[in-house]
Amino acid sequence: MKIKFKIKRYNPAEGEPAEPYFQAYTLDVEEGMSVLDALLKIADEQDTTLSFRRSCRSSICGSCAVNINGFARLSCATQVMPEYAKMGDMVIEPLSNHVPLKDLIVDFNPFWSRIEKVAPYLTPTSRRARRRGDVPARENDGARVTARDEEAIDKSQRCIMCGCCNSECNALEIDDRYIGPAALAKAWRLVGDVREGNSRKRLERLSEEHGMWNCVRCVHCTQYCPKSVSPLKQIESLRSRAMKEGVLDNPGAKHVEAMADSVKRVGRLDEAAMTFRTLGFLRSLGMIPFGLKMERHGKMPKPLLFPQIENIAEVRDIYEEAERLEKEDRERKKG
Amino acid sequence: MRAAIEAAAEGLNVAVVSKVYPVRSHSVAAQGGINAAIKDTDSWENHMFDTVKGSDYLGDQDAIEILCKEAPRDIMELERMGAVFSRDPSGNIAQRPFGGAGYPRTCYLADRTGHGLLHLMYEQLLKHEVFIYDEWHVARLVVEDNVVRGIIAIELRGGKLHRLHSKAVIIATGGYGRVFHTTTNALSSTGDGMGLALNAGLELMDMEFVQFHPTTLKRTGILITEGARGEGGYLLNSLGERFMANYAPTVKELASRDVVSRAEKTEIDQGRGVNGCVLLDLRHLGADRINERLPQIRELAINFAGVDPLTEPIPIRPGAHYSMGGIMTDVDGATKIKGLYAAGESACVSVHGANRLGGNSLLEAVVFGRRAGAAAARRCLACAAPEFPDSALRDSAHDIADILRRDNGETASALRQEMTLVMEEHCGVFRDSEKLIAGLAKIRELKQRYGKVSLSDKGDYFNSELLAVLELGHMLDVAESIAAGAVARKESRGAHYRTDFPRRDDREWLKHTVVRKEDSELKISYKDVNISRYEPKERTY
Ligand SMILES: Cc1cc2nc3c(=O)[nH]c(=O)nc-3n(C[C@H](O)[C@H](O)[C@H](O)COP(=O)(O)OP(=O)(O)OC[C@H]3O[C@@H](n4cnc5c(N)ncnc54)[C@H](O)[C@@H]3O)c2cc1C
Ligand code: SF4
Ligand code: SF4
Repeated sequence: MKIKFKIKRYNPAEGEPAEPYFQAYTLDVEEGMSVLDALLKIADEQDTTLSFRRSCRSSICGSCAVNINGFARLSCATQVMPEYAKMGDMVIEPLSNHVPLKDLIVDFNPFWSRIEKVAPYLTPTSRRARRRGDVPARENDGARVTARDEEAIDKSQRCIMCGCCNSECNALEIDDRYIGPAALAKAWRLVGDVREGNSRKRLERLSEEHGMWNCVRCVHCTQYCPKSVSPLKQIESLRSRAMKEGVLDNPGAKHVEAMADSVKRVGRLDEAAMTFRTLGFLRSLGMIPFGLKMERHGKMPKPLLFPQIENIAEVRDIYEEAERLEKEDRERKKG
Repeated sequence: MRAAIEAAAEGLNVAVVSKVYPVRSHSVAAQGGINAAIKDTDSWENHMFDTVKGSDYLGDQDAIEILCKEAPRDIMELERMGAVFSRDPSGNIAQRPFGGAGYPRTCYLADRTGHGLLHLMYEQLLKHEVFIYDEWHVARLVVEDNVVRGIIAIELRGGKLHRLHSKAVIIATGGYGRVFHTTTNALSSTGDGMGLALNAGLELMDMEFVQFHPTTLKRTGILITEGARGEGGYLLNSLGERFMANYAPTVKELASRDVVSRAEKTEIDQGRGVNGCVLLDLRHLGADRINERLPQIRELAINFAGVDPLTEPIPIRPGAHYSMGGIMTDVDGATKIKGLYAAGESACVSVHGANRLGGNSLLEAVVFGRRAGAAAARRCLACAAPEFPDSALRDSAHDIADILRRDNGETASALRQEMTLVMEEHCGVFRDSEKLIAGLAKIRELKQRYGKVSLSDKGDYFNSELLAVLELGHMLDVAESIAAGAVARKESRGAHYRTDFPRRDDREWLKHTVVRKEDSELKISYKDVNISRYEPKERTY
């Protein structure tokens, strides 16, 4: 079957069009062919100048994420035939929220610096942080980790750093200094690790401006992640851990704290009181319109957390956090 | 990366140069696990024996001893760095059985072991502030008077050529699976380091030993981990028989990879295959076990073969998987050029001999990566930086300009396609004199034609076509080394199986094949095997 691929081209070289443009290639496709196979075939047989990243072709190296028919996907893990049958088209563009360098290749440096910002390596507690070279020859040096401990970070460590989540993130589109879902998933990988010694410090840093409280819970990151990392879930884990550990001296957490107070006091949401205490936070977030992405996607994300009033998503988020906090509080009193 | 971390921890100024971003390296695809004798009921001697036997007695036993003795220490160190190994119910590091091993000693992170460890190495690179030159393609090793001076690399983003001046260089460019048509390897696994080494005057060892993995997905060659058999999967032929019972009656599916690959090929060749494949059946393991232990396998089978292993067996066949051979080094990764080291799959220490055991190559990359890093650091602390010859950059620029200047030639992709088919046909699971000699001639002919390959992309930005030409040059050298070594070796040992010489011949052939390039021709010589503890015996499973 012949399918027309419309691929966005761009070359920064002199003498090339200054603006990206679409080029069409017609390709004979067969059952089982992935979009990456198709791109490779086009590059081999029709146009060797076409540039795109690739390596493992088995959805584990994270190189080949592009925008297919409007959504961030791994090209190796997207089959041409079903995709075409569903969408009736085959439009391939570079990832959004990223600057294109050539054709489908985008500048990934901002992605990597976001990851670097969370100091993405374990800094164990002092008991375990022995001198280098002082490694026991055998297991069982007190470093036991249970299956439950692993469960807590299991999803977050599946990330392949493909950038699909950042590409679809609404908060990132609003604020290009936002740390973004991929880095936050990585942050939870460390904060949630029982062996980590600096969780609190990490939470404090993550609570700074452009940090974890920026997320507007649009669920896109979770929806588009090809490896079921569920970054939003990891962000929620970070937030609730921050509340639990009392990392409160920041607008995001204050907002939640106010909520928790209110819930405890009257058993329901007292919005006026809450807004008063968190005015600063709302100002920093609430005035900025988002929904741009929503329009592009032409639909609402599935778990409908996104009513018309801009701050409601945030409010619900906070409401849930508060409930959780209260429950913990209750349990603590009981036990 | 393991080497870089070690050298950086010694306080050196270290950089990693990679043609893909470090977390994209093909180690990321390793699924099954990494071996180490960490339990009281196991011992490094057992691990060593299994490895020696697996290597069909061609592995150097001094190197294997180091590998197995240091393995537990390295596993603990990885855990300390933050690796999230899967645990048993009491919280200890869990281990699974792997083919060719007499004890379940493969540590794992579900079926994403390589992914977990590669990302861990990347984390440690950042922690140690190692500089990363990502998407830089190394075009030349700069060597003068038998001392390495640094490298020349192309920055893919803008096409600039750079010189990197250094006291030591460690080659860790991985395998060459892409030389074959059906392979589990990444598009980037093109054996560059081995080609670069040959060009710099180094020797490659045991190149004819190519591991064919028994379970790769039908169309794409994507790997289904050995762990799938380790967890109890069955191999079935078209008659529904567990045919491994006829080839390895005691361990069946868990025989060494070369044995299983040949069994599959025999079944397929004798008409008991299913569309050129045999079937891997996991259904009896049940949904829970598959979802918990082999989640990625299920995902791969569904996405890339359209088969859900919960309800259907997976069609699989053998594919090129691992390069036992590589750049000849000592146990510290040192080559005969001062300051130039090699580690990982691109090196041949040799711990795998004629056949590698699953779970031993990640281990090799970690143990000998660390050792190479330490050795390079020692050298750097002890010597002054040698001069960098001015001509090197100019020469590289000329080479590349030459390629860019050519017009109206064949494309690199057409030639590459031909090469991979020749290798599959002539240097595959079953080899014989006739096939091999014809194959070698074809590769040599392709090399002639390679000189006239031309490009249509003459641009500077991310010129993938230029990259393909450079990679193809290395692949052809590697292909010739494999074929030449295989023609000469008139016996069957490990992964090298000759139907015209079906037996192992220790009297004549208990020796390593060594190839080097002289005036652009390959020359073969031989080297003794180090045998310390275990005398060669017949290898049965
Ligand atoms: C699918 C699969 C599954 C596997 N499973 C297992 C397993 O379960 N257990 C096990 O022990 N082993 C396994 N192996 C083998 C093991 O993964 C590899 O042998 C090992 O990871 C190789 O590591 P490496 O560091 O040597 O090379 P790689 O990880 O391949 O890294 C090579 C690096 O070199 C760079 N490079 C190459 N050429 C150039 C150049 N010209 N310029 C600049 N940079 C360059 C690449 O960009 C890359 O960063 C598996 C292999 C495959 C293919
Ligand atoms: S849920 Fe939050 S982090 Fe995820 S895409 Fe939406 S705004 Fe970004
Ligand atoms: S969280 Fe998912 S989408 Fe985001 S980078 Fe990681 S794997 Fe990709």
